[in-house]
Amino acid sequence: MTESPLAAGLRIRGLSKSYGPVRAVDRVDLDIVSGETVALLGPNGAGKSTTIDIALGLTRPDAGEVTVFGRSPAEATAAGLVGAMLQSGGLLTEVTVRELLEFAASVYPRSMPVAEVLARAGLTELAGRRTTKLSGGQVQRVRFALALVPDPELLVLDEPTAAMDVETRRGFWASMRELTAAGRTVLFATHYLEEADQYADRVVLLARGRVVADGPATAIKAVVGGRTIRATLPGADPDALRALPGVTSVEVHGDAVSVRSTDSDGALRALLSAQLAAHDVEVAGADLEEAFLSLTTSGASA
Amino acid sequence: MTATATATYLRTEVRRTLRSPRYALFTIGVPVGLFLVLASLYGSGTQDGISGTAWIMVSMSVFGAMGAAVSIGGRIAGERAIGWTRQLRLTALSGRAYVAGKAVTAFLVAVPALALVYAVGAAFEGVRLPASQWAEAAGWSLVALAPFVALGIWLGQWLTVDVLGAVSGGLFTALGILGGIWVPVDQFPSGLAAVSRALPSYWLAQAGREPLAGSWVGWHGITVLAAWTVAFVLLAARAYRRDTARA
Repeated sequence: MTESPLAAGLRIRGLSKSYGPVRAVDRVDLDIVSGETVALLGPNGAGKSTTIDIALGLTRPDAGEVTVFGRSPAEATAAGLVGAMLQSGGLLTEVTVRELLEFAASVYPRSMPVAEVLARAGLTELAGRRTTKLSGGQVQRVRFALALVPDPELLVLDEPTAAMDVETRRGFWASMRELTAAGRTVLFATHYLEEADQYADRVVLLARGRVVADGPATAIKAVVGGRTIRATLPGADPDALRALPGVTSVEVHGDAVSVRSTDSDGALRALLSAQLAAHDVEVAGADLEEAFLSLTTSGASA
Repeated sequence: MTATATATYLRTEVRRTLRSPRYALFTIGVPVGLFLVLASLYGSGTQDGISGTAWIMVSMSVFGAMGAAVSIGGRIAGERAIGWTRQLRLTALSGRAYVAGKAVTAFLVAVPALALVYAVGAAFEGVRLPASQWAEAAGWSLVALAPFVALGIWLGQWLTVDVLGAVSGGLFTALGILGGIWVPVDQFPSGLAAVSRALPSYWLAQAGREPLAGSWVGWHGITVLAAWTVAFVLLAARAYRRDTARA
């Protein structure tokens, strides 16, 4: 069977890129099939933006191959197949939102009608406003609108909700859902596990430039999710702690214990029970950075 | 790029410039204001075969036009700084077309700068010229603006916004004074006058004045202007390649 170019989606093979001594991206392989929504999850410096910039043809890789719908990234973007919301990016000054989008529509080979772009990005009310008079969240929406202008098959969003408040964030993802219902492919970078979990079909975990996990959100959540419980527990037995509900890792330093659990409620109840009598208890939410570090170190020793 | 896309790009750029408070102040306000003041002080007599008032009028008109041309550098530097040029790399607008659009815009927004000073000269300062001479003065001024447009593009591709502000401000003032826009070059010491006659600003001013004396800038002037234009274009091209290679 011959594959249509669109079905090829995004294909990354053996991608590496260094900035001086820093390996930003280290032999990354990634396949995104057409119609899929994939989250690139990782802490700052994990290589998310570098991977995205290469996939868009903005940065040249040191090694590896990238094809977008069977073409080179530069060809795919020039053909208007890709819409992108880059991480940092100001807006043109001395123009209104509508003028900015009209200009953008004129420089793409094909485009969605500006009125539709405005509606989809929730900007109809703000169309006549100057770009310099927008709030941080509104600027993000305009940048999202710019990504929609070419009516792209692949949407690439680098930390799209960074400057948004909770409500705007929800609205943003609602309009994304509507868009992807039409079979568009989406790749977005985030460092919020929750966002990846709620909106992606698949999550790719990046840490220190490498893919450390790739799978459905639920599977990733089991690896990096959960909470860390820290407590004082004199004479703690690491094996007993490991047997607590949902525990994935245990650390004991003298009287101080640190337990990571996917069932923090259960583990907490057991820790505070008569038998264990832990005190000075602290519970912290999933710390991605920490989870990634443990994943990469265990990956390296395995 | 299609014709409609080009038109939309130029319309957007011209509109943006006309809305900018910097443009209104430095390209229109300052030259017109200085013209009125200087004409009342030094407008009597003649200089280079034209009336003192007409001489000052042309000086101020090219001063404003020069500002309009060089100021596109600030726009380019600013758009590089905020990542807008990166966003544009995801469109069908090529880097060359982007720069070319900026250059055309510089010439277009220089027109009101020239026209307004001329209008003030005709309406309030009693400068009376046949229509053909007005047109020739404006036309040759625009031709002679080429090196400044290229200079603006070079600086914008090369420098950051902050550095550019300082550099172009200093350069602009120096080129104005040394080029005889404020004080006639024949009042300079001979060594300095020779330096003057090698500068594009001197020939820009001459390009605007000569038609008023029934002449034109001449081949020598055209050669000097062309040499500066080529030099700045080459420097701009090199800065552009370096800037895009860095990403």
